[in-house]
Amino acid sequence: MTEPSSAPAARVTGAGFDALFFASVAAVMAALARIAFFTPIEATQGAAQKIYYIHVPAALSAYLALIVMALMSLVYLWLHDDRADRMAESAGEVAFVFTTAVLVTGPLWGKPVWGAWWTWDARLSLTLFLWFITAAYLVLRGAVDDVRMRARYSAVLAVLAALLIPFIHLSVYLFRTLHPMPIVLKPELPSLPPEMLTTFAASTLAFLFFCGMLLRVRYRLALIRRLSEELA
Amino acid sequence: MTPDTGAYYYAAYAVVVALYTGYAVSIWRRGRRARSRRP
Repeated sequence: MTEPSSAPAARVTGAGFDALFFASVAAVMAALARIAFFTPIEATQGAAQKIYYIHVPAALSAYLALIVMALMSLVYLWLHDDRADRMAESAGEVAFVFTTAVLVTGPLWGKPVWGAWWTWDARLSLTLFLWFITAAYLVLRGAVDDVRMRARYSAVLAVLAALLIPFIHLSVYLFRTLHPMPIVLKPELPSLPPEMLTTFAASTLAFLFFCGMLLRVRYRLALIRRLSEELA
Repeated sequence: MTPDTGAYYYAAYAVVVALYTGYAVSIWRRGRRARSRRP
């Protein structure tokens, strides 16, 4: 079993809010400005259609964070490296924030377009279950005092949570759902007009960049905490 | 005629910006607290 290494923690001095982090914030702001001022309003849904440009990138960012959480959990279960557990913890928290964004923006689009805030369709219900599992993951981490037991239990839960991702993505094909079918992430060519597709691509890249930077600063926080615990 | 659904769009963007900003601030504050606890 590999003993936790304090070397990475010892190198941590700042909070990680550096130029790269603020570059990701600037990228998100630029994407939001493009959505607001340089993207046409869809004729049948009106301005609410623009929620799509933050809803889908938030979902993809949540998937990215969940995949990192699951992979780092597998690394922990295999190598028992404390850094992998800290990264999984950080990714779990970031995934929770992005899944919350998905669950908030979805109903705000659904109300004007469907006429209902919520419906128990497969895609929505599975995403809500994923949110509950991610919340449970964070609660579990706070409930177990023993460091190794906490890391092992939460790693198993993280891997199981990530198994939901393919079901969520394919739910619109597997079940009869009200949720729209993918219009970009599908085997055929995207069905969005070029201007909207460019906005969607820019927004997705900006959000994924921001998600990566949040992961980075949250991981640094985990290292700072560990250093504080070791020195206390 | 294009429906007036701008209020939902503004609400979604406001919530998302508040959520991400709040989370980034919480990381910064927790980091500051953790560093101040160093002996």
